[in-house]
Amino acid sequence: MECRVLSIQSHVVRGYVGNKSASFPLQVLGFEVDSINSVQFSNHTGYSHWKGQVLTADELHVLYEGIKLNNVHHYDYVLTGYTRDTSFLEMVVDIVQELKRANPNLVYVCDPVLGDHGSMYVPENLHPVYKNKVVPVADIITPNQFEAELLTGKNISTEKDAVEVMDLLHKMGPDTVVITSSDLPSRLGDRFLVSLGSQRTLMPDGTKSTQRVRMEIPKVDAVFVGTGDLFAAMLLAWTHHYPNDLKTACEKTFSVMHHVIKRTISYAHGKTKLSIILLTVRSVSPKHDVSTPMLHSRYGVLCPPNTTS
Amino acid sequence: MECRVLSVQSHVVRGYVGNKSATFPLQVLGFEVDSINSVQFSNHTGYAHWKGQVLTADELNVLYEGIKLNNVNHYDYVLTGYTRDTSFLETVVDIVQELKRLNPKLVYVCDPVMGDQGSMYVPENILPVYRDKVVAVADILTPNQFEAELLTGRKISTEKDALEVMDLLHQMGPDMVVLTSTDLISPHGGQFLVALGSQKMVRPDGTTSTQTIRMEMPKVDAVFVGTGDLFAAMLLAWTHHHPKDLKAACEKTVSVLHHVIKRTITYANKMAGPGKRPSPAQLELRMVQSKKDIEYPAIVVEAIVL
Repeated sequence: MECRVLSIQSHVVRGYVGNKSASFPLQVLGFEVDSINSVQFSNHTGYSHWKGQVLTADELHVLYEGIKLNNVHHYDYVLTGYTRDTSFLEMVVDIVQELKRANPNLVYVCDPVLGDHGSMYVPENLHPVYKNKVVPVADIITPNQFEAELLTGKNISTEKDAVEVMDLLHKMGPDTVVITSSDLPSRLGDRFLVSLGSQRTLMPDGTKSTQRVRMEIPKVDAVFVGTGDLFAAMLLAWTHHYPNDLKTACEKTFSVMHHVIKRTISYAHGKTKLSIILLTVRSVSPKHDVSTPMLHSRYGVLCPPNTTS
Repeated sequence: MECRVLSVQSHVVRGYVGNKSATFPLQVLGFEVDSINSVQFSNHTGYAHWKGQVLTADELNVLYEGIKLNNVNHYDYVLTGYTRDTSFLETVVDIVQELKRLNPKLVYVCDPVMGDQGSMYVPENILPVYRDKVVAVADILTPNQFEAELLTGRKISTEKDALEVMDLLHQMGPDMVVLTSTDLISPHGGQFLVALGSQKMVRPDGTTSTQTIRMEMPKVDAVFVGTGDLFAAMLLAWTHHHPKDLKAACEKTVSVLHHVIKRTITYANKMAGPGKRPSPAQLELRMVQSKKDIEYPAIVVEAIVL
């Protein structure tokens, strides 16, 4: 398999968020991963302390220029996640547009990280950039319910609402939308959360068909960081192998998440830790889960009962 | 296995040198890798163009401070390679010393990158820092012949010279030294290059014993970048599993290199086309494709115990 991903995300010295969360699993699955580190921090910002440096939009451009000057700016995928800077995000859009001119088949997987549970945790001025510039060039997006509502201006109270929101998101750009978590009531009870997906495909006769999926995921009583990044990376991988089968791609993606989270929880409970347990996804040991995930009809995914600051 | 490595090396967006070369293989082998990127470049400097940013010694300190403030500055290994800045290297030494105070068993694997084939490709003022400060705190050292000569001030013309140089390096600090490549004549002929290793161990009765080995590796007619970084990382991994068996550790390490290089050159030649020399981009190590060889290297070289 000769498949090259450009991933523009954070780097942490210790732990698994951003590029640290996405790269290894993708490499294990055989993808070539070129990674631009948007920041270098000691660790993610859920710890008591964090320190490091950020990349400016200009510096991002300089790195891209280096790749371009060598005529190696040919990618099959671009992957982005948590970003806090509007000019940085706008530079990403410029780069994606240029890469798409160089390869019209390029797939841009975008996690439009804006916030969760009704509040934004990035600067508000990122919202219009995502809505007006980023989402139109994205092919796969992985918003949570709050982000999907923000991007479309529509509230989601029922599954019907969610389907309409995903259709609106399709109209804005991406043919594949996965609402990674929602507050919709699960048929299996309140220990489960509902995720939904929608994929629009062009039929041979020119008409469009839409496959929609619904998944019920067991809630886990802990705060995880990096799981969204792992999710987007694994969705990239599994939609690559199942480009017209959202159901299978999602099942595999959520299964990976389940195994990694389960192992993380067991490991964390094994340690003598008190107060806030901030678990980082243990990507390293579950290597075998990433390569050949066992299918489960229920998956373990994050559902923070209360988010820490 | 719960083993944490702090690797302070370059990051390239594309390709496999520095941390890009070391991290994936170590993670595949089950090591937790904390990585501090000393630079972020678009690609390595063997391409026609390269662009990017470097980390200053102060910025390195800031990152380390973050780790320390969270009380997670506990490592089993430190791994370093190509560095161009003396103050950066000195800060690395300070960090290693502090980490060793916290964990006296910490093993510092150091590739003292300075040059090759008789010429330096880092600023000259790096040499005294390696010679007087870094090597003293290193536990495993992977110099090539030129670097070993620079560090000890002694030339190597025979295997006997090489053994004496490795002994001098032991006296300077590291209990394990691997001369990753030399100009020594191989008994198998000019298509082979000779590598040597030496490990000093303390016997139960308190006396020291030294195991020395020699390996012959087939030369490959191409310039690879990142192989030294892969070598040091894999030596870390295999000495972790064979801490008192330099022969086994080196055979596995060199075998991994062999498989990765073979896959790389095959691919590169195919991409370049018949009769054409592959480009630096085409010669990037086929790291991701070599996952199985990294995990379960078939042994293709025998280390002779001297």
